[in-house]
Amino acid sequence: MTAVRDWLQRSMGARLVALFLGLLLAVQVTTFAALRASLSDHAHNELPARLEVGDRVLQSLLDQRAQKLIEGARLLAADYGFRAALGSNDAETIVSALENHGTRIGATESALLSTDFQLRARTSKHRADLESLVSRLAPQAAKNGNSSTVAVLSGVPHQAVLVPVKAPVTVGWVLMAFPLDARLASDMHSLSTLNVTLLARSKGSSPWTVRLTNLPPERAAEIAGSAWALPQAAGMASIDVDGEELGVRPKWLSRGDGAADGAAVVALISLSVDDAIRLPSDLQIALLAITLLGFIAFGCGSVFAARRVTLPIQSLAAAAERLGAGDFVTPIDGATRSDEIGGLAKSFERMRIDVAEKQDQVRQLAYWDSLTGLPNRVQFRQAVHDAIAAAEPDAHIAVIMLDLDRFKNVNDVLGYHFGDLLLARVAERLTEQSVRTGDMIARLGGDEFAVLLRSGDASLGLAVAQRIERSFDAPLVLQEHTVDMRASIGVACWPEHAADASVLVNRAELAMYAAKRRSNGALLYEPAIDVGSAGTLTLLTELRQAVERRELRLYLQPKLALDSGALVGAEALVRWQHPERGLVPPVQFIPFAEQTGFIRVITLWIFEEAVRHWTLLHGLGLDLQLSVNLSTRDLLDPELPQKFEALCDAHGAPTSTFCLEITESAIMEEPQRALAILERLSAAGFRLSIDDFGTGYSSLAYLKRLPVDELKIDQSFIRNMKTDASDAMIVRSTIDLAHNLGLTVVAEGVETAQVWDLLRDLHCDEAQGYYMGRPMPADEVSGWSERWSASRRRAAEPTASMRLH
Amino acid sequence: MHRFLAVVPALAAGLFAAGVSAATLTARVVDKTGKPLAGAVVMLEPVGAGLPVKPMTGIEISQIRKKFDPDVTVVTVGTAVTFPNRDTVRHHVYSFSSAKTFELKLYAGTPSTPVVFDKPGIAVIGCNIHDRMTAWVVVVDTPLYARSAADGSARLEGVGAGNYRLRAWHPALPADAPPPSIAASVAAADLEQSIRLDDVGAAE
Repeated sequence: MTAVRDWLQRSMGARLVALFLGLLLAVQVTTFAALRASLSDHAHNELPARLEVGDRVLQSLLDQRAQKLIEGARLLAADYGFRAALGSNDAETIVSALENHGTRIGATESALLSTDFQLRARTSKHRADLESLVSRLAPQAAKNGNSSTVAVLSGVPHQAVLVPVKAPVTVGWVLMAFPLDARLASDMHSLSTLNVTLLARSKGSSPWTVRLTNLPPERAAEIAGSAWALPQAAGMASIDVDGEELGVRPKWLSRGDGAADGAAVVALISLSVDDAIRLPSDLQIALLAITLLGFIAFGCGSVFAARRVTLPIQSLAAAAERLGAGDFVTPIDGATRSDEIGGLAKSFERMRIDVAEKQDQVRQLAYWDSLTGLPNRVQFRQAVHDAIAAAEPDAHIAVIMLDLDRFKNVNDVLGYHFGDLLLARVAERLTEQSVRTGDMIARLGGDEFAVLLRSGDASLGLAVAQRIERSFDAPLVLQEHTVDMRASIGVACWPEHAADASVLVNRAELAMYAAKRRSNGALLYEPAIDVGSAGTLTLLTELRQAVERRELRLYLQPKLALDSGALVGAEALVRWQHPERGLVPPVQFIPFAEQTGFIRVITLWIFEEAVRHWTLLHGLGLDLQLSVNLSTRDLLDPELPQKFEALCDAHGAPTSTFCLEITESAIMEEPQRALAILERLSAAGFRLSIDDFGTGYSSLAYLKRLPVDELKIDQSFIRNMKTDASDAMIVRSTIDLAHNLGLTVVAEGVETAQVWDLLRDLHCDEAQGYYMGRPMPADEVSGWSERWSASRRRAAEPTASMRLH
Repeated sequence: MHRFLAVVPALAAGLFAAGVSAATLTARVVDKTGKPLAGAVVMLEPVGAGLPVKPMTGIEISQIRKKFDPDVTVVTVGTAVTFPNRDTVRHHVYSFSSAKTFELKLYAGTPSTPVVFDKPGIAVIGCNIHDRMTAWVVVVDTPLYARSAADGSARLEGVGAGNYRLRAWHPALPADAPPPSIAASVAAADLEQSIRLDDVGAAE
């Protein structure tokens, strides 16, 4: 039962169907009940009328019969022989004639009466019966010439007639009595469909007996038993007979009165009330059939109607689910209907369209940069991800990141609005540079842009990056301002540099930052740049360990005076004796150390080692000026001067024997601060040298202000100066410049004797290079120095140039 | 059952005293409502010895046009009556009266034998095949008889003094009833006598 109730609760369609069927059932039941009640009412109103009609039918039957009997009797009474017999005054003759003629027409009793109705002869023995009968018949006979009545004779109901004997005038009366038989009942029934029961009693005190009936005998007997309950007046009495309700109307056919012997005959006209009010069976069947058909029709119809409501609702529910799942593309069914469901569907559809629009707007905001109209960072990242996912096994994908240099300055100087316009122009220019379809140019935010090359390897990426870089050569003209912008560009590729999108983008960014730091334009990613990679993290750890485990080695490369060829100094370099990798070249960890700031530790280690070795060498009689490289980080470390001083003090080495080499670019990173530190170092007594001179940013204005003592010409100029005239020119000019500024000049990368000679001719002060000596472990310097001195002495004898291995 | 008459007592006039002259008795016949009754037959019969009567002759009751003619015939005892059939149809004349029971079976013309009425009384005669034909023969036993006139009076003359019974009869009386009588004394003077027939009269 609860299952049914649950089902009803869950299904509106089921409720509708149940409602309709319930209503139908209620209507049918009501109809049925109303019909029954009405029939019953009707019957109860009509039944007495029917019985009254039955009464009249019975009366008519009796009258007709009486008429027939009268006619018969009259004819008989007119019979000549009969009249003659009656006139004979012979009692026996008369009686026999009466008997004879009476029998002719079925009379059970006959009598002759005088003209004043005195009984003269009779065939029956019951004088008392006849006398009362005659007394009833006489008045009417005297009036009408004949009469009839119903009477009980010998306990049997009879119909008696009285007719005159005319000879030729009325000379007497003949009375004849005929018993009432079953034909009365059957005629009654066939005429009126009512039943008749004749009850008779011979005396007022005796019970009623059933004389004639077409009811089943038991019923009739039961009625007879309750006949005392019959109303005296006409009308219908309800009697319950054997569980069946009978409507009974009494008709007194003869009453015991007058002589008051109480003999009476009553006809009970009866019908079955139950039958009368029962719905006729064909009506019942019809109602049942209608109900069943109605159920089927209503059932189908209401299921149909319910589905017409529930199906659209289900469809809309599914549509809502789709919307919830994010499908704003599929249109909603049912929006074309014009009813309430259609209204709902239309609302859904409007909502769907609105949300789809909003979604588009959101997507637009989410994925596009509003200033430039380019895709934004989110979209770019997604595009990279999709490109990787869709890439074929052998394909390459390149990501180029670019950052505008000194954009902040533009904003500060020319205003943010101008800055925005500038970004838009940059975006335009990038788009003009734009590559193939499928590649994406995006603004990642601020002054960062990115390019995705969907199929591009490292070389293509780098080429594109360089092309972009070159495109910045042309100044941007905007609102009467001409702006020179430069960009730092980083390139990273899949699958070489990264396996997934975020790492790829990240590494491109790293490359970009590295490029920015090096002021290098376009830079391809290499693992050394990456401080965050696991490999490099390991490297850092190993580096730290290297310092602790004394895996670092101090190498010294001799610096020689060109004029004398004497060993005057050495550049301190670090080598790493890795237990597994062997000797790790500096290029594999120095830049990394610079990135991480670990360089300071290394620099400090180098310096300390240098100081220690100076002390040793000094003990051996060699006074060398040792040069130690300082990185940008070192240069910006405010504590550097005092650390160095402290180390010198600790070993008792004079600060002036140490030369600190700084690259141009390192200074130019943050010139002010660099200057301050240099000032302090200089003040502390250290010699300062500009390393790799000519290759980086340099400002002569700064140069002249720096407390430097020496310039080192980059090896790129020295190496080729023999063959390349412009290099030679640069070298010569640099030497002159340095000398003019009061600085000494050192040449790096001397590899041949010719270069040595050349440099000597140009009055370069010092030289350093493979021709003279490679970097060697610090312990070997003294040995080398001896050998060098020896060979120099040998060379001094003949003035031939020498080769030294 | 007879109701006896309400008799207006007659004057018992001293008929004897007046002499032997015969008186005239005028009977007045009325029905039960008091209306004079015409066509009644009154008979005066002396109490005791009867008066001599002689049979009448030449009395006939014919049947003409399916009717008896005359309808009422008064005859003295012993009179022979013929029943000539003057109709084209035959008649079957009969009577079951105790005064005379006879039948003349279906005949035409005149039966050869007349019917002798030899008992005083009323004979009602009918035709067996014509129920409507009715005739009465009043057979009187006294020479004193008369038919009442329209006013209901019937004169009986030559009535000697003495005690008599005055009877009256009318066809409307029931067939089997004897005619009602009243006592009447006649003296010398003429008298009137009313006699009322209670069984006759329209009292519907």
